[in-house]
Amino acid sequence: MTTIHVFDPALCCSSGVCGVDTDQALVTFAADVDWAKKNGAQIERFNLAQQPMAFADNVTVKGFLERSGQEALPLILVNGDIALAGRYPNRAELARWAGVKEAAEAQQGSCCGGKTSCC
Amino acid sequence: MKFLEGAPRFLFFTGKGGVGKTSIACATAIQLAEAGRRVLLVSTDPASNVGQVFGVSIGNKITSISDVSRLFALEIDPEAAAQAYRDRIVGPVRGQLPEAVVKGIEEQLSGACTTEIAAFDEFTALLTDTEITSSYDHIVFDTAPTGHTIRLLQLPVAWSGFLEAGKGDASCLGPLAGLEKQRTQYSAAVQALADGQRTRLVLVARAQNSALREAARTHGELAAIGLTQQFLIVNGLLPEEEAALDPLAKAIYGREQAALAAMPDELHALPRDDVPLKPFNLVGLDALRQLLVETAPQPDAAGEPVALRAPSLSDLVDDIAADGHGLVMLMGKGGVGKTTLAAAVAVELARRGLPVHLTTSDPAAHLTETLHGSMAHLTVSRIDPHAETERYRQEVLRTKGAKLDAQGRALLEEDLRSPCTEEIAVFQAFSRIIREAGEKFVVMDTAPTGHTLLLLDATGAYHREVARMLDAKGGHYTTPMMQLQDSKRTKVLFVSLAETTPVLEAANLQADLRRAGIEPWAWVINNSVAAARPRSPLLRKRAQNELVEVEKVARLHARRYAAVPLLEEEPVGVERLLKLAAPLREPA
Repeated sequence: MTTIHVFDPALCCSSGVCGVDTDQALVTFAADVDWAKKNGAQIERFNLAQQPMAFADNVTVKGFLERSGQEALPLILVNGDIALAGRYPNRAELARWAGVKEAAEAQQGSCCGGKTSCC
Repeated sequence: MKFLEGAPRFLFFTGKGGVGKTSIACATAIQLAEAGRRVLLVSTDPASNVGQVFGVSIGNKITSISDVSRLFALEIDPEAAAQAYRDRIVGPVRGQLPEAVVKGIEEQLSGACTTEIAAFDEFTALLTDTEITSSYDHIVFDTAPTGHTIRLLQLPVAWSGFLEAGKGDASCLGPLAGLEKQRTQYSAAVQALADGQRTRLVLVARAQNSALREAARTHGELAAIGLTQQFLIVNGLLPEEEAALDPLAKAIYGREQAALAAMPDELHALPRDDVPLKPFNLVGLDALRQLLVETAPQPDAAGEPVALRAPSLSDLVDDIAADGHGLVMLMGKGGVGKTTLAAAVAVELARRGLPVHLTTSDPAAHLTETLHGSMAHLTVSRIDPHAETERYRQEVLRTKGAKLDAQGRALLEEDLRSPCTEEIAVFQAFSRIIREAGEKFVVMDTAPTGHTLLLLDATGAYHREVARMLDAKGGHYTTPMMQLQDSKRTKVLFVSLAETTPVLEAANLQADLRRAGIEPWAWVINNSVAAARPRSPLLRKRAQNELVEVEKVARLHARRYAAVPLLEEEPVGVERLLKLAAPLREPA
């Protein structure tokens, strides 16, 4: 089973709604993580402000912080290896790493198929 | 006193600021301790003055009150709790992670969220930690002002529900794993609160319409979350016998009795105690021992006439008007009359033909209705925290949530219920309004202290954010924080009563503001009995006490000040508001 570890910068909250201006990237990513988990992906997020020990205990992450600083976060590890840094992955990347098919979308065909009013 | 009969383990005192919660909570704790019980008195007010009442410094550790055996006290200082929380998190990684990273973490953990959560943790521990609580027969809570208290009390319900549903990342509340451990504690806290055998809530109010309305609202909100065992105390009632002695006393007595008669029905149904107004300040053990005694000692009938010579509000408005425009902010503890004085400043400016926008964020303010459309040059608005929060939520959902699917939106909606959202929403409304002060006068009152400081925090955070972005572009900018710090643009008026505790509290708030780089421009002493020249012995005694406090304000605290008299009629409506600014009558 693939494990994805996300090392977030120091955030008040993982969706960013606590900030003076809500960060779109955080809102989108929070939704994507939720989606991927529901589809069986193993994802864990660590917030630098709340769980700094998780950063210090991981040799790869600690080394990354020493080299590039916290400005270079977020850092995404897939099975312990660096997969991405400096931005959040999108839904397709998450799906690919986790081996999850974007089944829901693929089967639905048109976006108007459901009960939503998205069109 | 009914509320003391068969007192359970947990006693909560709540009410609008300035109604005398702390005095009554302290007096209750003394009474219970002197009846042979072991009592812990807890304040969760960020600006607690329990220590000051007993003349000892208390702070974040349980401290024995040496003058009263079996009495102990604790002040949950949210700032100190937050510092301890920060140390707990950051301590282990110091030296492990680069210094800049550690600093970044600390900075992130200095926000309002951390403070709120840290204080809340301590609060629930007191309700549930048997190791601490088992050594006391009673734990008496002198709670923070109403809004904050309600939030603290509601959080356990919201959070355990949140965790049960297994929704989201628990966002603001910290990592889910950590919360899981606390879950039992939260649900135990909720059970303790909902158990009438263990918990009693005492609503403290003055015989004023606004304070009684606020008490009724708290009653409803807390009953809805299970706190059903409630009592009412009406504090500081003018005794009937004083009413015969002087027109002012008569008017106050009539006003108070009318307010009691018009009290909301749900309050009528509660067991009620009336506590009469005392001629002395409620500071020190002797005064507190007398507070809950049914018969008050008669004040000395032969007092000297009292003469207060002080500048009037109109004198201050002269200086404000000279600048032609600007932001005038009324600040101070809850219950000191900020909204009324904001309105008085606004009508006095408008009377002089200057364009004025009066705005309030006080949920209980209804001056807007009285003033609306009734005066040229004056516009009135209200920042409704609930409406602003809803608007902010909808705005975030509409913009940032636009591309999310239904599940993602549900998640975002859940996160937007975080306790921080309201602060941000009110702050944004506040920033919108103060931009107007470039061309006209904007007069606003602010909600009680804790909230005000959070607002300023948000202002500071926003300032740093904007500065960071615009410094990079080399742009020219003014943030709300810069506007507040510039005395040419912003005049902060401190409102206080001429009583020991309010004056000290205002002085503390002034120190906080100075730390934020904001220098208060003037102090206004509201509801001064001395300025009203009373003849009733009780009021005259109070007036004498006031002179000492006014002197302190004039000499120690304020750069400039004014005094506003206690009026015979409630200062509602333009005409009566204008009377507040009028020069003080010369003593006969």
